[in-house]
Amino acid sequence: MAGASNLPPGFRFFPSDEELIVHFLRRKASLLPCRPDIVPTLLLNLCDPWELNGKALQSGNQWYFFSHATQSRTSPNGHWNPIGADEIVRSGGCNVGLKKTLIFFTGESFEGIKTNWVMHEYHLMDGSISCSSSSNSSSSSKRSQKKKGHSDTESNSWVICRVFESSYDSQVSFHEEGTELSCLDEVFLSLDDYDEVSLPNN
Amino acid sequence: MSISVNGQSCVPPGFRFHPTEEELLNYYLRKKVASEQIDLDVIGDVDLNKLEPWDIQERCKIGSGPQNDWYFFSHKDKKYPTGTRTNRATTAGFWKATGRDKAIYNAVHRIGMRKTLVFYKGRAPHGQKSDWIMHEYRLDDPAAITTPVVTAAASAADAGQEDGWVVCRVFKKKHHHKEAGSGGGGGGKHGDGGGKSAPQYSSSDDALDQILQYMGRSCKQEQEHTSPLGPGAGARPASRYLRPIDTVLGGHGFMKLPPLESPSAATALSTTLCGAAAASLAPDHHLLHHRTDWAMMDRLVASHLNGQPDAPEDHHLCFDAGIDDDGGDPPGADGLTYYPAAATRLLSDDDLWSFARSAAAPTASTPERLSHVAL
Repeated sequence: MAGASNLPPGFRFFPSDEELIVHFLRRKASLLPCRPDIVPTLLLNLCDPWELNGKALQSGNQWYFFSHATQSRTSPNGHWNPIGADEIVRSGGCNVGLKKTLIFFTGESFEGIKTNWVMHEYHLMDGSISCSSSSNSSSSSKRSQKKKGHSDTESNSWVICRVFESSYDSQVSFHEEGTELSCLDEVFLSLDDYDEVSLPNN
Repeated sequence: MSISVNGQSCVPPGFRFHPTEEELLNYYLRKKVASEQIDLDVIGDVDLNKLEPWDIQERCKIGSGPQNDWYFFSHKDKKYPTGTRTNRATTAGFWKATGRDKAIYNAVHRIGMRKTLVFYKGRAPHGQKSDWIMHEYRLDDPAAITTPVVTAAASAADAGQEDGWVVCRVFKKKHHHKEAGSGGGGGGKHGDGGGKSAPQYSSSDDALDQILQYMGRSCKQEQEHTSPLGPGAGARPASRYLRPIDTVLGGHGFMKLPPLESPSAATALSTTLCGAAAASLAPDHHLLHHRTDWAMMDRLVASHLNGQPDAPEDHHLCFDAGIDDDGGDPPGADGLTYYPAAATRLLSDDDLWSFARSAAAPTASTPERLSHVAL
């Protein structure tokens, strides 16, 4: 993996939401160099998700890249549709960003075919950082979302994206290999309970 | 231990230490065993007897980001100078092995073994099971690997397993059903957008309970029917035993099986099992002819477990594996894998060959122990 060649085996690019915002997106928006400078910039409308290979930063079965926030997220063969509610990304008690989840559809807007491609698109909370006490965090985040609509400054036009194909076990297999117990392990664990129960009989 | 130089973390933002099993074995443990320098001292040495699992988190921190798993080297010492067992007790509790060791392969061949252990608070046998899980990886003994006979290699490797360096991964068992209820994608977790993976596991605990009940019943059933005439002989009061396993497991991704009462299934399975045993007993394979009943199999198992010739009353032993605080006793563990091995076949989670090997390991060395079974 580019930029990680000096790390010993076993290290993977597996950033948290917070790290994507604080260490990458904020620096990009502030024109500060990212260290390591490993996430490339792509124009979303030129690239279908299956063409990210070799263009975006690949880590496991995920691809990372910077792009510009756009209203119409179309690509040559389809478009990205937002699903669900935006999530607030927090860092040290402050709301630092927004995480949108989108699904890729092939074809035209209304007759597209849903695919397994998922994108997490991270935005900075506009310009200033909105810190809030825990009691009114939700209300302040709503306010900042509203403000965002008409204060699209240069600083929050950048987004950082994570794209992956949400096949059955893609995320689990990459992130949690080894920290999951298999079904069989679970059986053995429960068999151990059986031991405890039957012990006094012997 | 955090990786830093002059107070600055050496791990760039966004990177996590998340090694594959092959990297753990072939890079880290191999270098450790050979006393070679490892770039960035990522994995530290830990005296397992002096570290509680909840302290591992602080001790084995890598970088500054959130971590779900922790790694360390540990030098295994024998529990008793004369024995082969490992002492894995701490001040507050002990690590107890569970299940069977899993062979780890790279693209070409077997490189090591993984033992799964659970931390119990308190003292054996009254410990209280916790959610702390440890995967303990050990390298295969290269000398044993090159031995041509597979069973000999396995037993030689097992003999050497309780001494020397291992690399461990510790993590907390996740409770999927709780996560599924709380709605996916929150907090620092990387939701997959649809939360698809959670429902797959959400009800597996229930399914598991039912499997175990089922296995318990079928075990008990054999106690009630010690007639050697096999399935179908005598009146079965047991319509409660008849629940097909596929109603229990439906939709959980397991292989569907007919009920054990089905003569064809019982025959098929026990034929397979006898076949596996016979493979290790080629000269004596005629001894196992016509033994297709479950009682027969239980007796076979029981005789392996305790070496007693006539032990029909000992059928309950089948669930007594691992009474000790260490299930890693080579002879005991091999014998005790019979039932888990049977479970393995029921769950189609393993191949026949590994079962055959585990069956072969103890019998090959002591074939005479089986002879009484055929009488």
